[in-house]
Amino acid sequence: MANRAPMLRIGQQDLKCRQGCGYYGNTQFDGLCSKCFRERNDKQRKKQRASEYHEAANSAGGSIERRSPQHSLSLDRVKKKQQQQQQHESDSSPVATASTMPRKKFTVPAVLQKTLKNTFPAAVAQQQQHQPRIPSATESQFMLQLRQLRLPDDAKRKLKSEIQRLDHEIRKYMNNHSSKNVDELSDLVQNAYTRFADIVHNDARFEIATNEDRESAIDFFEKVVMTQNHNLLFSPYFTTDEESDIKVQKRIRQLSWITSKHLDCSIDEVNAEARDLVYNAISELVGIDSYYSPQEKLLCTVRCCRHIFELLKSSKGGPASADDFLPALIFVVLKANPVRLHSNLNFVNRFTIASRVMSGEGGYYFTNLCSAIAFIENLNNESLSIGADEFESLMSGAQAFSTPWESALLACESLHLISENMKCMEQLQKRNTAISNGIKDFERELLEFQREVTEKVDTVMAKAPLTLLPIKTPPHLIAQARAHLAQDGVEAAVGHYSSNLLSGAHNQHSLIAAKGKEKEKPVEEAQLEASHTLSLKDTSVSSVGRLSPLHHQLAQTDQLFASPLFNNYTPFDAVSLLEESSEHADVLMLGHEFQGGLTNINYDFDLSDQSGDNSVADDPKLNLDEFDPLAQRGIPKAPVVAETSVLDTTLDSLIDSDVPATGVLLPSPLKPEVANYRGFSNFDIPSISCNTGDFSSLNQDVNDPGQPTNNK
Amino acid sequence: MSSRGTSAGPTLNFKAVLLGEGCVGKTSLVLRYIEDKFNTHHLSTLQASFVTKKVTLPDERRALLNIWDTAGQERFHALGPIYYRGSDGALLVYDITDQDSFQKVKSWVRELKQMRGSEIALVIVGNKTDLEEQRAISYETALLYAQTVGAQYVETSAKENEGVHDLFELLTQLMVEHHGSKQQNDTNALRLQNTGLAPNAGAISISDDTDADQESGSASSPNRSCCGI
Repeated sequence: MANRAPMLRIGQQDLKCRQGCGYYGNTQFDGLCSKCFRERNDKQRKKQRASEYHEAANSAGGSIERRSPQHSLSLDRVKKKQQQQQQHESDSSPVATASTMPRKKFTVPAVLQKTLKNTFPAAVAQQQQHQPRIPSATESQFMLQLRQLRLPDDAKRKLKSEIQRLDHEIRKYMNNHSSKNVDELSDLVQNAYTRFADIVHNDARFEIATNEDRESAIDFFEKVVMTQNHNLLFSPYFTTDEESDIKVQKRIRQLSWITSKHLDCSIDEVNAEARDLVYNAISELVGIDSYYSPQEKLLCTVRCCRHIFELLKSSKGGPASADDFLPALIFVVLKANPVRLHSNLNFVNRFTIASRVMSGEGGYYFTNLCSAIAFIENLNNESLSIGADEFESLMSGAQAFSTPWESALLACESLHLISENMKCMEQLQKRNTAISNGIKDFERELLEFQREVTEKVDTVMAKAPLTLLPIKTPPHLIAQARAHLAQDGVEAAVGHYSSNLLSGAHNQHSLIAAKGKEKEKPVEEAQLEASHTLSLKDTSVSSVGRLSPLHHQLAQTDQLFASPLFNNYTPFDAVSLLEESSEHADVLMLGHEFQGGLTNINYDFDLSDQSGDNSVADDPKLNLDEFDPLAQRGIPKAPVVAETSVLDTTLDSLIDSDVPATGVLLPSPLKPEVANYRGFSNFDIPSISCNTGDFSSLNQDVNDPGQPTNNK
Repeated sequence: MSSRGTSAGPTLNFKAVLLGEGCVGKTSLVLRYIEDKFNTHHLSTLQASFVTKKVTLPDERRALLNIWDTAGQERFHALGPIYYRGSDGALLVYDITDQDSFQKVKSWVRELKQMRGSEIALVIVGNKTDLEEQRAISYETALLYAQTVGAQYVETSAKENEGVHDLFELLTQLMVEHHGSKQQNDTNALRLQNTGLAPNAGAISISDDTDADQESGSASSPNRSCCGI
């Protein structure tokens, strides 16, 4: 029930202003909208003044607008009564307020309303003659329908007068008889029906009408009279209908524990489709109360029962027989617990054309409904095939029960919640996958971009190789430098340029040393070999450190050694990084293996260069001392070097490494620039930390592994 | 609608209730009659509890037959009067292989006689003749009983489609006769306009049934004529 739109039990027409202005009316304004109500009140007041109606009423009317609607209504009612009295005295025409009668009995105390209404000899046509009244929506509808009936005009007139006559008779009966009996009233109406049917079929005025038109005339007759007099005839105060309504309602409430199993009917209470159909049936059943005329109530019953048959057909797989139908109907009635059940049934029974409930589909279903209610009222433990004790305890509420219907209702709530949550989760999941897809795409794009950049850079590098630099290195300087280095030894190494220059040499040297541990070679030989290895090694370094200016310094050193292979570089990154920390021999191996691979492209930071540079920066000084001697003495000398290298890294190497990184990101570090860097670096030590925090850490990393190896 | 036009001959409107224990084949009988089908799984009708059928009587009169199925379960037995109120005929169905269902028919007959007197045409139907070998109530026993209560007795098989059509024709015939006699006696508001109906002499008694039976036997069901006297 929770997620079903409730069916309107009151027609849209009934809610609209009776004036027909299109706005919704209000029962407190006699079914008019506020605007029409005020207009009418004004008109009335004017009329009252004009006719010199006594002043009291006038003042009462004048105060209406200032009061609350309820109050104004009651005042209005008082006024009406006064008018009625006057009307009776003077036998004047019915007053305009005749129309202001609230049509819905539940808005006004029934008895008062009845007495009010009874004082009006308000028949349709009479009301029509007295123009000031506003025809209600239903009345104007009836007028329209009457016009649409395919009957001769005099037949229509006859129909109208018959309606008025019965109307009058009913009102007279309700007013005059001191001891009222609903059966008498029923007989009165039934006789009128019979009489009218007689007229329709035998009167000359209806002669040309077809059978269907006659039927519709009879239907119309019944409908109009019953709708007009619904207030009087529906559960009249002199019957016990209302008490039985309450009684049966209470009874049904007591029987809420009954399941379809008890009734042995084939409704699957938990099945969603079945429940849907049961809901349809229930809403039709409840809707019976909202119709005025018996035939509409019957039609509603028929619709309800059709839903039940649909339900049974789907559950049984074939047309349902009465054996299935009656239990299902009982079940539906029990679960619907319609209001004013008895009143409705009695109203139909008493005041519809007798044959309607005796034959035809409507009659059959109505009979079934009656018998379902009779069953409910009289059912005992035997009719549900359960023990008497159980029945008693269930009826008194002593025994707890749980019916699939109620549980399913509850379950539906939580199921609903679950499905809502599921939906939410699904959405979240979708978004999640979208995000992760986006991440993947982004990653791919990144890689792609990286690759593109690398390619571009590579092509540029290929196009414009590092051959630019060697030109600027005067060959004779190498000899000078070497001579200088050889002369100055360690002190010379302090010079920034020279350290850079020699870092490459040292690099070579260390490689050589690693490679040829056993071999002891003269310096020249070693250098030759170094140039060989360098060609491999250096290419890798150059690729790695494209962004680093140090690299070019290395290149310069390479140039110093005049490597012919210099130009074909193969990108290899990891080597230089690993080089420092791991063993040289391994590094070399790796270097050879991974040459040409782009796999390590992520490592193409300057780090490697830096680290290389750092270590190189450190080492060269050390190596410079031993440059020549190393070749002769061999590797074991290295530890001695380490101590100084540590010191150097803390002081100079950091600065040296950082300065190029921050200052120059692109190639073409010419020698003069290098000199500039040096000075620059000396001045701006504090800037190191902020610009190149990473580098410092890397330096440490590089140095850390370096220390243990050196310390060994 | 009770009132019918006088123009194209009278159309009579009859209501017949199907009474009987559950599972004796009430619904199958109706379905066989309406759709000429036995297996309930291939039917176009939504329901088989209320059916109408237009019947043309041998004497060219037309009738509209309303057949009201009732729930056969014992627990709904007490609801019977609500259904057969105002009905013109009753089909009391039992299973010839089931003694209990025959006893049930007897109780229905008693009830009907008590409530409706002889206003209602009664036909006792022994269904499931295809299960002859399991028969529990002999044809003679049932026939004898039917005669003593002033009812007709017919045996049918809804499965084999034996006697179903004849059964309903017989019922219609009976109701027409009843109606004719009733119209003379009372001025029931329900069927006022059937002026075209020829007044049919006959008191409401067993003799009336006999007449009707002879008529119907000669007209439609010669194979069942033996069930008359």
